Amino acid sequence: MQALTKQTHSIKTADVQKKWFLIDAEGLVLGRLASIIAMRLRGKHKTTFTPHIDCGDNIVVINAEKVRLTGRKAEREVFYWHTGHPGGIKGETLGKRLEGRFPERVLIKAVERMITRGPLGRAQMKNLRVYAGPNHEQEAQQPEKLDIAAMNRKNSRIG
Amino acid sequence: MARVKRGVAAHARHKKVLKLAKGYRGRAKAAFRVGIEKVEKGLQYAYRDRRNKKRAFRGLWIQRINAATREHGMTYSQFMNGIIKAGIEMDRKVMADLAAREPAAFKALVDQAQAALK
Repeated sequence: MQALTKQTHSIKTADVQKKWFLIDAEGLVLGRLASIIAMRLRGKHKTTFTPHIDCGDNIVVINAEKVRLTGRKAEREVFYWHTGHPGGIKGETLGKRLEGRFPERVLIKAVERMITRGPLGRAQMKNLRVYAGPNHEQEAQQPEKLDIAAMNRKNSRIG
Repeated sequence: MARVKRGVAAHARHKKVLKLAKGYRGRAKAAFRVGIEKVEKGLQYAYRDRRNKKRAFRGLWIQRINAATREHGMTYSQFMNGIIKAGIEMDRKVMADLAAREPAAFKALVDQAQAALK
């Protein structure tokens, strides 16, 4: 153990201990799930949090297509993009996107927008793997299960 | 009276500025006229940020203490309230250090804060 010093300790990249976590997103509320993932990716749950260093955990999410949207967000919340052509603004509701070809992108986008923008944020986003279905490719890392529903009653919706 | 030539003094002044401009981008590191503007601004930033540094660090200590207290089911604000009520006058820097390197000692602080809130 190091002795206590006058200086605030800043963790080094080599000293970061990154764990692997597995989250089953079935029935979890999108925004609440995303905020927990974002916090862990950034490392803000650690007592050694260092703002300029990628000190968060690695997170694997399965069943991302089964996240829940509360209220009428499935019909009302629209994701917009612009094609670059005049009048090229397009939009799609979140409900449509969840049923579309890449349902996991809804969750990825939600997390991305909760992470600080910049080189560090982009590096931290690479520590997140999201799968629409029940299978994932990180078996070798032996991710530890993280029960989000048990943390707070409001984190999951049944039915 | 001896004749004063101004080149010597000017060269010394330029040298002083360019020494401070080392590592700057573009002409700022080599040309006096560009460099002096950057150096003056840089010194202003340095002066300001020596003060801002204190705030930034306090913020960081709070973030770390918050992470540690949440492991024990308490938020930062509840914890600080308890600490004040328990009459503990430890500063945030030391508490953040304890949280990272002496979890057992920090747990004792949390217990005291919880006891004080009851």
